[in-house]
Amino acid sequence: MRNKSMHSYKAGGFFSRLFKIKFLAGLWTGKLLLIISRLSGRGGTTLPGRIALKIEPKLTSYLTSLLPSGTLLITGTNGKTTTSALISGILKEAGYRCINNQSGSNLAWGVASSLVAGASLSGHLREDIAVMEVDEGALPGITGSMKPRGITITNIFRDQLDRYGEVDHVLQKIRTGLDLQPQDGFEVINADDPSLTGIQAGQHKRRWLYGLELDLPKDTFENTGRDMKACPHCKKELQYEKLFYAHLGHYSCHSCGYKRPKPDIRLMETRAEQDGTTLLKIELPDEVAEFKFPLPGTYNLYNLLAAVATAKALYIPTPLVASALEKSVPSFGRMEFFEAGGKTIIMALIKNPVGANEVLRTILYENDDVNLLVAINDKIADGTDVSWLWDVDFEQLGLEKDSFSSLYASGLRAWDMAVRFKYAGFDPGQVTVEENTESAVKSALEVTPPDSKLFILPSYTAMLAIRRTLNRMGLGKPYWEE
Amino acid sequence: MAGIKIYHLYPEHLNLYGDRGNMIALCRRAEWHNISIEVIPVKPGEKMAFSHCDLLFMGGGQDSDQQMVAEDLKKRSSELSSAVEDGMVIFAVCGSYQLLGSHYTTGSGEKIGGLELINLYTEAGIKRLIGNAVINCSLWNPTKTLVGFENHAGKTYLGPELQPLGQVMIGQGNNGTDKTEGAVYKNVIGTYLHGSLLPKNPWLTDYLLEKALAYRGQDFHPTTLDDSLEQQAHNAFIKLAGSKKHKRLGTRA
Repeated sequence: MRNKSMHSYKAGGFFSRLFKIKFLAGLWTGKLLLIISRLSGRGGTTLPGRIALKIEPKLTSYLTSLLPSGTLLITGTNGKTTTSALISGILKEAGYRCINNQSGSNLAWGVASSLVAGASLSGHLREDIAVMEVDEGALPGITGSMKPRGITITNIFRDQLDRYGEVDHVLQKIRTGLDLQPQDGFEVINADDPSLTGIQAGQHKRRWLYGLELDLPKDTFENTGRDMKACPHCKKELQYEKLFYAHLGHYSCHSCGYKRPKPDIRLMETRAEQDGTTLLKIELPDEVAEFKFPLPGTYNLYNLLAAVATAKALYIPTPLVASALEKSVPSFGRMEFFEAGGKTIIMALIKNPVGANEVLRTILYENDDVNLLVAINDKIADGTDVSWLWDVDFEQLGLEKDSFSSLYASGLRAWDMAVRFKYAGFDPGQVTVEENTESAVKSALEVTPPDSKLFILPSYTAMLAIRRTLNRMGLGKPYWEE
Repeated sequence: MAGIKIYHLYPEHLNLYGDRGNMIALCRRAEWHNISIEVIPVKPGEKMAFSHCDLLFMGGGQDSDQQMVAEDLKKRSSELSSAVEDGMVIFAVCGSYQLLGSHYTTGSGEKIGGLELINLYTEAGIKRLIGNAVINCSLWNPTKTLVGFENHAGKTYLGPELQPLGQVMIGQGNNGTDKTEGAVYKNVIGTYLHGSLLPKNPWLTDYLLEKALAYRGQDFHPTTLDDSLEQQAHNAFIKLAGSKKHKRLGTRA
């Protein structure tokens, strides 16, 4: 498993020494930049890695080659961050020391920054294994340099089109990434996503599949990505025996006979417990196990299954998996809870229609007195095109407009969001527009009645800004201290 | 009550850039103006009688779908063409807009035939034209601005007598060089702008509704609506699209 490709230089030879010098120069410069950016109150998530890679392009592959248990990469449109956190939790429970990247810093530079931060001054890592969430577009490059033993893929939905173009293009990146993985590695994919199962498996690679075997209530949300319900082989429309959400479900093609493969890891039953957690019955290849899981939402069930399948691929004993999952907490900006003087803030990142619809679904579980703030920026990391807001089924909230006691639109594109609320069926008078996210959060929190909840749904950079505001208010910790 | 029928062409295939928003805007504003509206989704291969259609909406599609859509539509092109001459309203965005023309030349020089409804053609470009756009549109006198987001690799060139939808103030437009954006022929409007386009440009939504009613021989009696939210969003967009600082800071979290 250990990657030896970097040790081809003759020990003590000229090139070996030159590499060492460039490597250490890159590492130390990166570390210095990291200190500077943290002192200036920012996370320093990309710049240190960017400069370090400029000085020594092989820095990432060299550092990962030092890890005795190799690298795991997690990719897909939604659920990367949570799945990575669940996998790391399981590995820690099993005694591994993990190195991770920060959520969102999941391009080559971000991954390099995390390695730079974790390495000692002499250029060593004390961890056993790297668990990195990787942007779909960056998968081929990062796979090439990190040579992962495992790649876990959550799902493919439409994302920010200004960055990646179309879904076909993203799928191509994933195919290339899987092709570049060492052939003795394994891949973990979602059996309920036809666009993923349609990818030809590597000849010698072990493929692990996971999926739901549940009867869920009918999905009332309108997801526009329905063009993805096409057979990956003959492109005819797939028939669904069960449809969980978007294009995830039990599918088959009446035209060419392609159908959902039987998963190795199957979620058979769920039962809500008194304490708010869910008891899950999961069928594994050699046993049936029960897991207690605290995170809400169907999408988190998929994240959990992806983590369980990855743990299985790593031969981690099931009791350790179960005890790790029981302790799961929401990841960075994914249904995070903050307590503010008797009021609860629930922050959930929104970045694409399918993910946002799943967040709206959980808001609809609230009966009345809903307080909601949506903050949309249009920087590169958010997506510069905000038209995806119109593919989010805000109409579902509009139908319940009387349950909302306060409604805020904020961020650089606050007015777009306000118009979206209006056309979703809200009265324009219900909407308060406050472009500045800090003022919006403070004002929304103020009007939220005691003992009530305030939902904050930000786009990515709006979430970073709102976290800084919450930190200044004494809520939560800066993300690089977590 | 006045009423129109909107045919929504291949909604499962042509829906790339928030096209749902355009349909929402048409439906909501029709409702607010007391126009009854019937939306008929049309699937590929399905029979449709253009004689019943007042407004045909065509959204943007993925490249892989575009070919299928083009082939299916070409079977209906003569029917479409006579409806267009009679004044049927077509609103086409991005990929569908390209399809209205005579042909699309791919990067390898291959010519894919279009519907030949209006005199324009498109060539594959090397660099995608992506970003916020503001145009000055002469459908009204005095002119009004339209704001949207463009994201296209194809470069479209209009025939000599064809009127563009507007002159580019910010952004790239049809081809990045001649400062035109979109095209207008009779009641056909094609454009690269999405965002979604109609919600933030309510006057264009009303224009389409009015033309569709006229085609059905009905008068448009608009209700006085409070469009201040839409107007604010429109103005805020123009400010943002023209801001150099926004562009520069856009790369930073």
